Order: sequence, then structure tokens, then C-alpha cells
Amino acid sequence: MLLRGMTWLIFFQLLGTGLNVLLLPILPGPIIGMVLMVAYLCLRGEVSESISLAAGGLLKYLPLILVPPAVGIMAYGAEIAADATAILLTLAISLAISLPFCGWLMQRMILRQQGRDDS
Amino acid sequence: MGSLQEAWAAILSHPLFWVGMTLAAYQFGLALYERTKLAVFHPVLVSTPVLVLLIWLAGEDYAHYRDAVSPLLVLLGPATVALAIPLYLNLRRIRSFFWPVVVCLLVGGAFATLMAILLAWLLGAEPMIMMTLAPKSVTSPIAMLVAEQIGGVAALAAVFVMFTGVLGAIFGPWLLRICGVDHPAAWGMAMGMTAHAVGTSRALEEGEEAGAFAALSMSLMGMATALLLPLAVSLWTML
Repeated sequence: MLLRGMTWLIFFQLLGTGLNVLLLPILPGPIIGMVLMVAYLCLRGEVSESISLAAGGLLKYLPLILVPPAVGIMAYGAEIAADATAILLTLAISLAISLPFCGWLMQRMILRQQGRDDS
Repeated sequence: MGSLQEAWAAILSHPLFWVGMTLAAYQFGLALYERTKLAVFHPVLVSTPVLVLLIWLAGEDYAHYRDAVSPLLVLLGPATVALAIPLYLNLRRIRSFFWPVVVCLLVGGAFATLMAILLAWLLGAEPMIMMTLAPKSVTSPIAMLVAEQIGGVAALAAVFVMFTGVLGAIFGPWLLRICGVDHPAAWGMAMGMTAHAVGTSRALEEGEEAGAFAALSMSLMGMATALLLPLAVSLWTML
């Protein structure tokens, strides 16, 4: 079961890689694979047990899979040090503005829709 | 019989040494996080400096480490494809608030991304850093791929993303309260869109509806960024 789901995930990843080289150089292969997987699931109308088992297992350990690439930060010490203030300020300020903005916008849109439904 | 030094050298050069160290460092981070429940102790943020220190102590460089842990790295592609499953399951929830979600995603998402680029530019960051900061609101596997695609650096993107998520989980609820956002769907939407998985787990603590919308907006924001940001950047550079 797990192996069959895993095979599907790898199949879509490889399909994405092929299409990336063939047609869509601006989209990374795994992203194309993900979009195709969503389209496939929409067509099927359900998630088979084997795919949900394999995906669930992989996503459970996603943070662990992300550690090796994050360690790559050690190769960019000089770049980070050069722009440290800009990086920290950008991350903090853009979060402080965009997070409440998204919440406020969503709340306004919901209230507007509810107002229209009532009238 | 070999000496103790030879035994130590054999352990260090074993193909599984760095995989083992990575697993150990990750579990240390996970245990710390589960004990304290503090977003600052996110397992990725804890295990990364631990491993950087270990690699430095062992006198190795990142290229050596990356080759040694390639069995873990190769799983990142299928894990990205696997993000399609929660996205598909969350898509079915969208019906009741279809237009609010779509408008908020496009307007709010473009606003957050543009502001990050603009701020970085105003503060005088290098173009490489600017492009790495652009996808900071989306889940790491997507942010890393997108950053690399538009001229940034995957490793830095992973760290910026984690940092953003942690900031969002800590200050998000407070920011939303002072701005008068109390609708659970809007609350979750904001947390998932700007603070991805870390924000989503914080939204789940707030309630089921907030958690569901956070998961939905995290998936949609990831997908929208993956499709639109490389397109927007390549159009921009063509002009």
C-alpha cells in the first residue's frame, strides 16, 4: 500500500521534471508534479488510501527533510552578515503589516458577503 | 588491532554518520519543542545551528554534508508533490467563502510578496537576498524551489520561512486582536497565508474553523506563489 502510494508520488515528480525541461522552464519540476497531482485527484474525486498513506508519512517527516537544506545556510555566512539588518527588518515589518492586513481584508469580504446574503 | 584514532576516523567517514547526526539533532529539537511548546524552539530552527556547529567541529564543509545526507534530500521532491493531498482536501471546504478566499488570496498574497521585495530593496539588500525574501510566507519546500527559480538561494529561503512562521505564531494573535479581526475564518486565513505551517498549527489551537482556513490558505498561498511569482519575475526581467 505504502509502496504503491510512494510510486504515484515519484511518478508525478518525474512527470513534473520531464515537463519542466520540455515545456515549462519557469516552474520547478516538483511544483508541476504537485499541480498535476491536484488535477488528478480532482478528476478522481477522492484520495486513494495508498496515496494518502504515503503522503501522510512523508508530510509527517517534512520538517526533518527540511533540515539538510536549511543547514546550507552555513555556506552563506558572509551574505547574511552583509545584509543582516535588512533581512531582519524586512521579515519583521512585512509580517507585522501583511498578517493583520490579510485578516482584515478577509473579515471585510466575509461581512460583505453575509450582508448581501441577508438583504 | 587499530588504534582508537583509527576507529574514530572510521566512524566519522561512515556513509551513515551525518544521516545519524541529522536524525539525532532533529529529535533533540523535537523533544525541546514538545517539552516547551514554544514556537521559537521549532525543530528546524533548533537542529540547524546544532548541525552547523557539528559540521564545523568535524572540520567538514556543507558540500560534504549535503552529499552525505542525499538519502534525506532526495525525499524533498515527492514530499512537495504530497502537498497536493492536503490542498485537494482543503479545496472542498472553500465553497462557503469562495470569493472572500479568492480575493484575499490574490490581493493579500500579492501585497505581502511585493512588500517584502520593496522593503528589502529600500533597506539596500542584494538582489539575491531580495529574491530569497520574496517567497518567505509560503511553506518551505515551495519557497525553496521558487527562491532558486527566481535567483535566490534555497537554503536561506528555508531559514527565512521558518523565521517568518515563528514570528507569525508569536505575534500574529496579538496583531489580529489589536486590528479587530475576530472572525475565525479571517483569523485562520491570515495565519495560514503569512505564517504557513507554523501559523496553521497555532490557528488549530484557536479552534477548528480557524485551523481549517489556515490549512486552506497555506496550501493556496503556496500554490499561487509557486505559479505566479516565477511568472511575474520573468515578465519583470523581460521588460
